[in-house]
Amino acid sequence: MQIDFAAKELTVKLVYYGPALSGKTSNLRAIHWLGTSSACGELMTLETQNDRTLFFDMLPITVSSGTGLKVRLKLFTVPGQVMHNATRRLVLQGTDGVAFIADSQRSEADANRESFLNLKRNLQENKIDPDQIPIIIQFNKRDMSSIRTDEELELIAQRSKEPIYKAVATRGYGVMQTLRGLIRDTWAKLEDDHQLEEKFGISPIRFMTEVEAKLKHDPGPRGR
Amino acid sequence: MMHDQTDAADIMMGDVVRLEDVLSRDSVTSVCRSFFSLFGLPVRVITHEGDLLADVHRDQPLCNYLNTLDAGERECAKTVGVVRDLEPELQTTVHPCFTGAVYRIVPLEYQGRPIGRFIVGPYVPAETTQPPASLLSIDAPIDSAAACEHFETMPRVREHIAKKISDHLKGVLELLLFSGHRAQLASTMQVASVRENYRELAEKNEALKSSLDELKQLDQLKSTFLATVSHELRSPLTSIIGYTEMLESGAAGALSDGQAEFLGTIRSKADQLLGLISSLLDLGRLEANSLDLKHQSVDAHALLSDLAATIVPTANRRNVSLDVQVGDQTPKLWGDPVRLSQILLNLADNAVKFSDEGGTVTIRAERGEIDAAGASGLGAALFSASRPAVVLTVEDGGMGIAEQSLSKIFDAFYQVDAGTTRVHGGAGLGLSIVKQLVDGHEGKIEVTSTPGEGTTFVVTLPAADEDA
Repeated sequence: MQIDFAAKELTVKLVYYGPALSGKTSNLRAIHWLGTSSACGELMTLETQNDRTLFFDMLPITVSSGTGLKVRLKLFTVPGQVMHNATRRLVLQGTDGVAFIADSQRSEADANRESFLNLKRNLQENKIDPDQIPIIIQFNKRDMSSIRTDEELELIAQRSKEPIYKAVATRGYGVMQTLRGLIRDTWAKLEDDHQLEEKFGISPIRFMTEVEAKLKHDPGPRGR
Repeated sequence: MMHDQTDAADIMMGDVVRLEDVLSRDSVTSVCRSFFSLFGLPVRVITHEGDLLADVHRDQPLCNYLNTLDAGERECAKTVGVVRDLEPELQTTVHPCFTGAVYRIVPLEYQGRPIGRFIVGPYVPAETTQPPASLLSIDAPIDSAAACEHFETMPRVREHIAKKISDHLKGVLELLLFSGHRAQLASTMQVASVRENYRELAEKNEALKSSLDELKQLDQLKSTFLATVSHELRSPLTSIIGYTEMLESGAAGALSDGQAEFLGTIRSKADQLLGLISSLLDLGRLEANSLDLKHQSVDAHALLSDLAATIVPTANRRNVSLDVQVGDQTPKLWGDPVRLSQILLNLADNAVKFSDEGGTVTIRAERGEIDAAGASGLGAALFSASRPAVVLTVEDGGMGIAEQSLSKIFDAFYQVDAGTTRVHGGAGLGLSIVKQLVDGHEGKIEVTSTPGEGTTFVVTLPAADEDA
């Protein structure tokens, strides 16, 4: 996080991590599409090859609070392919929160695990404690066949340290809930570490109310 | 243009630090020039830090005239100063000039941060038809007629059109900014990724190097151990052989047939053991480069005759014929006669060992050539092409060696087939020693083999000078 006291401005970095083709870029595209233009800036897709992310995607969201505080949320994705580990590690530098986008298909369970272990390693390499940083997990592609069932995810959620969200990012279902959850958890951690309420006069609840107001609600995963 | 201060931290946050980091002066000026030629409106682009990035305008006759008047010049400078320093937060600001013209100041914001502004004007809103009193009363000697005439030549545009034109220019500049930022991030990420990969590889190389050093130390330890153990084994073995010989010679009394047979077996096995220990010692010395070769001129005829005499008993036992040939023109060899015999004996012994019963082993010496640059051919271009050599060939018609094993047969302790060790004995040291001895003589050894048909070893060793 970057704090500019003079400009009353906070910049918070949020990274969408996960295995290749799990839907990280689709999440950002959906947020860009569903979010209000007053809050969401342009989605920047940086270098692709055959529609695959090579460096990262970036979506800036600006929330100007009634208290005069301006919060700039920078959403990043990483390239999921194994060979781009150096780039992933670079993008993770200075991150304040991570949304791990997992693929719900049973066949991708190993890829999810491998990517999560890679996330932990890369956080450590960046001197970020994986046990301290807010991480949430989104099980994406809920519209595919051969996926882990809702009941299985319920069980996973009960024993998971990280909050679990469900989504169909290509249709926008669940992406805003995931984003709000990520912002809420990240803000709570930043409040603990930096006492933002004391410094800027904005409580976590008020901040989240303002975030909700700035970001449109998505319809939610209907029928699921 | 990259700014030195735009370091990794800013890039990793994906921020633009300064407008000029992502927008080149030339491209902004070019856009402003096009804007000016299209609409006739002056335009200036100023960074958040107050630097002028582009300025496209034409001096207005009215402004030139006013600058000839003291009060006019004063007021004009004041207005321009205010306009230039005005940085509206979010909304466009229209700032009036005492001449009746206006300046439209449009803020440029990028990803929630002010990054600069552009100023369109001065122009007169088309809705204003008469010059204002503030112009005509600016100075005592003002020429009202001239002022009115100049006022008429000012660029004019309706305010709602001016707003549309400004919005359009803002859109174009924001697009340039976005593209420039994207290109800046891409190039920075490219370099950063390469650096990160390099750092990772350098770390791995360092780890591999330390593993290699560790292995080398272990190898050295192994060689020292082999040399020490071999030496310690040889001393008592020499006594065993000595006392066996004394017993065999009857020094301790007459022997029965059974006793003589048992002593013969003890002697034979002890010799075998001594041979193995000597090989280990040789290998240790060769690996430590401490084997002292006593080079001299060696006659190929004599070398092969001695060899034949040594190997004949073994060949006869296995019913293998020996065919020894020495070419007429074969020069003398330049090497250590003991070690040259050892090379040939090892190869010939192997050939006999792996020949089928009734087979033939051919041992041949003939004239040849060897690359003057040495076996590897390194720097061959810098040396004279070749020098005389002796080519020694040992050929058998035995079981042969599979192709995948050929590259490993010169490794110490390597056995092509563990089964052959049980049948033929040996520790897999012979060929390793041969290879190192050949290398020590600056020669080369090559092997060709066809499974089921036989194996041919060709050793090329430097010849002695003709007059040696």
